[in-house]
Amino acid sequence: MTASASLEQAQPDRRPLKRLGLRVEPYLYSAPAVIIVATVMLVPLVIGMTYAFRDIRLLNPFSGGFVGLDNFRRLAADGDFYLALKNTVFWTAASVFFQFTLGLILALLLNRPFAGRGIAQALVFLPWAVPSFLSGLDWAWLFNPVVGPIPHWLTALGVMSQPENILSDPDLAMWGPIVANVWWGIPFFAITMLAALQSIPADIYEAASIDGAGPFERFRAITLPFLAPTIAIAVLLRTVWIANFADLIVVMTNGGPADRTQIVASYIFTTAFRRLDFGYASAIAMVLLVLLMIYSLLIVILRQTLLARA
Amino acid sequence: MAAIDIRAVDKSFQKLKVLHSVDLSIDKGEFIVLVGPSGCGKSTLLRMIAGLEEVTGGEIVIGGKRVNDLPPKERNLAMVFQSYALYPHMTVAGNMSYSLRLRKIAKEKIATAVAGAADILGLAPLVERRPRQLSGGQRQRVAMGRAIVREPQAFLWDEPLSNLDARLREQMRAEIKKLHRRLGATSIYVTHDQIEAMTLADRIVAMEAGTIQQIGSPEDLYERPANRFVAGFIGSPAMNFLDAQAAPANAGHARLVTEDGLTFEAIPGLELPSSRQLTIGIRPEHVLLGEAAGEGAKEATVDLVEPTGMGAIVHFRFADISHQAYHLGRASWRAGDSVKVALPTERLHLFDATDGRRLN
Ligand SMILES: Nc1ncnc2c1ncn2[C@@H]1O[C@H](COP(=O)(O)OP(=O)(O)OP(=O)(O)O)[C@@H](O)[C@H]1O
Ligand SMILES: [Mg+2]
Repeated sequence: MTASASLEQAQPDRRPLKRLGLRVEPYLYSAPAVIIVATVMLVPLVIGMTYAFRDIRLLNPFSGGFVGLDNFRRLAADGDFYLALKNTVFWTAASVFFQFTLGLILALLLNRPFAGRGIAQALVFLPWAVPSFLSGLDWAWLFNPVVGPIPHWLTALGVMSQPENILSDPDLAMWGPIVANVWWGIPFFAITMLAALQSIPADIYEAASIDGAGPFERFRAITLPFLAPTIAIAVLLRTVWIANFADLIVVMTNGGPADRTQIVASYIFTTAFRRLDFGYASAIAMVLLVLLMIYSLLIVILRQTLLARA
Repeated sequence: MAAIDIRAVDKSFQKLKVLHSVDLSIDKGEFIVLVGPSGCGKSTLLRMIAGLEEVTGGEIVIGGKRVNDLPPKERNLAMVFQSYALYPHMTVAGNMSYSLRLRKIAKEKIATAVAGAADILGLAPLVERRPRQLSGGQRQRVAMGRAIVREPQAFLWDEPLSNLDARLREQMRAEIKKLHRRLGATSIYVTHDQIEAMTLADRIVAMEAGTIQQIGSPEDLYERPANRFVAGFIGSPAMNFLDAQAAPANAGHARLVTEDGLTFEAIPGLELPSSRQLTIGIRPEHVLLGEAAGEGAKEATVDLVEPTGMGAIVHFRFADISHQAYHLGRASWRAGDSVKVALPTERLHLFDATDGRRLN
């Protein structure tokens, strides 16, 4: 390299082609990746965003023109959208809360030695490997009194007066996809929490127990502070993910009954692919994008201030 | 009444038996040092006293109370770990006050106790820092501070100085000794550093492979090691050993003859059956070299001279076996020189060749 570099300095004009080659070399190497990312992600993203300002309905041959902010004005007055927004908050908060709590408990259990721990760990992580679509179908059947056991169990326990499908009860329907989502998402928290737990040195717990701390106090004073940064990141990721996650709802309830399980992501899906109103769907998607970005920004700022104080 | 009584304690990890019927009675205010080679079970014994390991057999009694089934928090002991095990997200003051806060002691009292400990240990300017903002030596002091803020029944130390550099180790060793004078608290201290053991201990407990080999004052262990293991383990440079045989008695005193033909007109009062196999031990600092060897000294060849500043370790060989002598002051010999060597009879330690028991 040095030899060729000094050669070029000595004879700057002799080989212009080679100089050009050297200059474009890095771009040539990264070109395939850039081209793929641009064509399959950036271009569709930008085109999709322009849809928000157009009237695009697949079944209407006269649509396609620019309508300015009309889609957003319509959205501002759309009661279904506000209901979906409310449902999204409930769906996300309940799912994240239970996934996190149960995942943490599971991680704590798996972090203590017992016979067969290796197998138990592998089993716990299994739901993660099931496609969300399949687990949605499974749970829909489990909740169905004709083929599934859950309503009968709940009746036997006296929780329900008779075996009914909670997915068709407007007041309870949201719990169906939430239960499926919790089952499916626990492994994510269990894995991340277990990894963090295993990095806590055992002698700190020993020092604390000699200092007089019982199990609960050790959890509060050692485990939680050690886990806090991991919890913050995992909850942030999971919240954004679940708020966007429509598979289970589309498969299990399709937003019904009476839109009581419609979240923004499934509303976008329905608007785009059932009503084929791409312009309006794109407008909703942009609002969701902005809301999630604001949320992430707040969490990141919160985490930074917490870390700075620590 | 003993502060801590360890009675016939056994310990097994699954099938592996690591402690064999350990008996030890520790007086109030005593400083006990556990020494022994790596893996002999020192930490395990200490951790059983602390309540961090279950007792497989026997019993541990602290302050007159059987504690076998008591969790660590109810034993009122303080422990200093080799790794320090400080709470990383608490300040120095927080680390030191944690045990007091758990006991719901009044805030003012805690503040006084922490300030007092910080003063003793020279940590006063650092109390608001976190452990990761401290040097190794400072962390070590915080770990000590955490132990001394309360008044435990005993202090347990598991190689607290082994992560420090030599200089700092000397300094902290002296501070631990001063601290012990000042607080007078019962202490059990694990180390494999000889000097720490000799300088700190009221009594040393020498262990090997899960059994206690000897319990005694540092002088006892140094001057009258109970067996060959203790003789070889205590003292640095280590004791020299020569295989020998008892020869027919000469005027009532056993004579000893070594393999390479050295004879000793042996120690008065020692009666040995003729041709009994034994091991003679002599500490390097008791070997006389050169002029000091005097009349009737043997000739040996110098192998190596290692100056230590205060003196020199002289490696020499009789026949084909290498031994060491510690010569105080400047050593003028060089490798290859021949040197006169004498092993004074009154300095000899005699051990049974088969079971290593002390004979004289
Ligand atoms: N948790 C454990 N499970 C199984 N074996 C163990 C366990 N802890 C210690 N041992 C074994 O018990 C024996 C004694 O260990 P211990 O830690 O008490 O040694 P030590 O004397 O403190 O050694 P060192 O000077 O190296 O610290 C060793 O053989 C060790 O392998
Ligand atoms: Mg140890």
